[in-house]
Amino acid sequence: MRPFEYLAPSSVEAAVAALAEHGPGARALAGGTDLLVDLKHDSVSAGLLVDLTRIAECKVIEETPDGLRFGSLVTHTQIMESDLVRRHAPAMIDAARTIGAVQTRNLGTLGGNLVTCVPSLDSGPVLLALDAEVTIAGTGGRRRMPLGEFFVGPRKTALQAGEVLVDIVLPRDSLGKPCSFRKFGLRKGQALALVNAAAATRLDGGKIAGVRIALGAVAPTVIRATRAEAALDGRSPDPTLIAEAADIAATEAKPIDDFRASADYRLELIRTLTRRVLNEAIETATS
Amino acid sequence: MEITIRVNGQERTASVPPETTLLTMLRANLGLTGAKLGCDVGDCGACSVLVDGEPVNACLMLAAQAAGRDVLTIEGLGDFQELSPLQEMFELFSSFQCGFCAPGMIISAKALLDKTPNPTAAEVREALSGNLCRCTGYTKIIDAVMEMASRGAAESERA
Repeated sequence: MRPFEYLAPSSVEAAVAALAEHGPGARALAGGTDLLVDLKHDSVSAGLLVDLTRIAECKVIEETPDGLRFGSLVTHTQIMESDLVRRHAPAMIDAARTIGAVQTRNLGTLGGNLVTCVPSLDSGPVLLALDAEVTIAGTGGRRRMPLGEFFVGPRKTALQAGEVLVDIVLPRDSLGKPCSFRKFGLRKGQALALVNAAAATRLDGGKIAGVRIALGAVAPTVIRATRAEAALDGRSPDPTLIAEAADIAATEAKPIDDFRASADYRLELIRTLTRRVLNEAIETATS
Repeated sequence: MEITIRVNGQERTASVPPETTLLTMLRANLGLTGAKLGCDVGDCGACSVLVDGEPVNACLMLAAQAAGRDVLTIEGLGDFQELSPLQEMFELFSSFQCGFCAPGMIISAKALLDKTPNPTAAEVREALSGNLCRCTGYTKIIDAVMEMASRGAAESERA
């Protein structure tokens, strides 16, 4: 790696100030599983790395009046081992366990996963399906936005220069909402998703209520399949309806051909995974 | 910058530039060449060490990020005169040919057994999925870990 300076501030405010002072050459460092690789390959450069991993506020999972709060520096392993997550949003554990391998899950963070913002990011679909919001800090203070607005494009987020992601919050209404996650990769370990999908729903008098479908690796960012959701809400679940919704979801995605899979194959996967996650979420809602 | 890390139970200090990875500091500055430089991007696991008891890729952690933390490398288990029981088990099963993956493989197996003394074969495979072997194959590696677990269980029953 090319030489850089290094700071490990103990607060978000100090991190933001350091990033502002140093200007465009400064980068925030989270788990390092993406950024250090990019630095080694010289595909990004940094004059200063501001290491966020010593900021206590960003390293906890806690219940707050708002809901369930994940500091941005929480590791995937922390999520997998959290009783709070197990109780309130177990699908996040199902997603976390599919990321990388043990070593990268111990280093890699939830916030880092979201900020890298690759289309296949495995923590994205469940968070979108559960209406997650994110808090961003900059020199002007903090702002909150829905996760869906945070994702802007491949490797592009709403973060402005010098801003850092502070936390991710699952709103109170989403806690305990039945949710299912599925990922299809080419291997069991260390595989990128060809497609990943999450669905969350409640049942109100036997009718689907507040359904969310989120898909990864099939568009420039993780997306919601809102037309498929609209086709489901207020109706009684049955196999024909679920299959129709899965077909609609496939029309909302824009998968690409690449060396991992063809676009057609991905469309087929979207239909299959959407059916499965919907069925599983509905089954959980029924029981 | 001056960095102090507790490595295999001893405080070790080195003066290194900030871009030094934990792996480079261990190998080049502290002379601990057990952890290997393989892919250098966190895929192969040859550089695995435990930081505060958890396996990580030492190639993907800056030495500065390990400052003040507890690091265990393969040198912290046994040595040629006296192998650790886990190392002996890998030897007994002829789990390695070239041995390049061995330090990382053994470190990951230790992390698993510390947390989950009686793993299933599936749990062993999952725990070792971040460690690639390109010559012996995984069967003898997994068998060694399973045997270690069953002997460990037998010992704790006796105790």
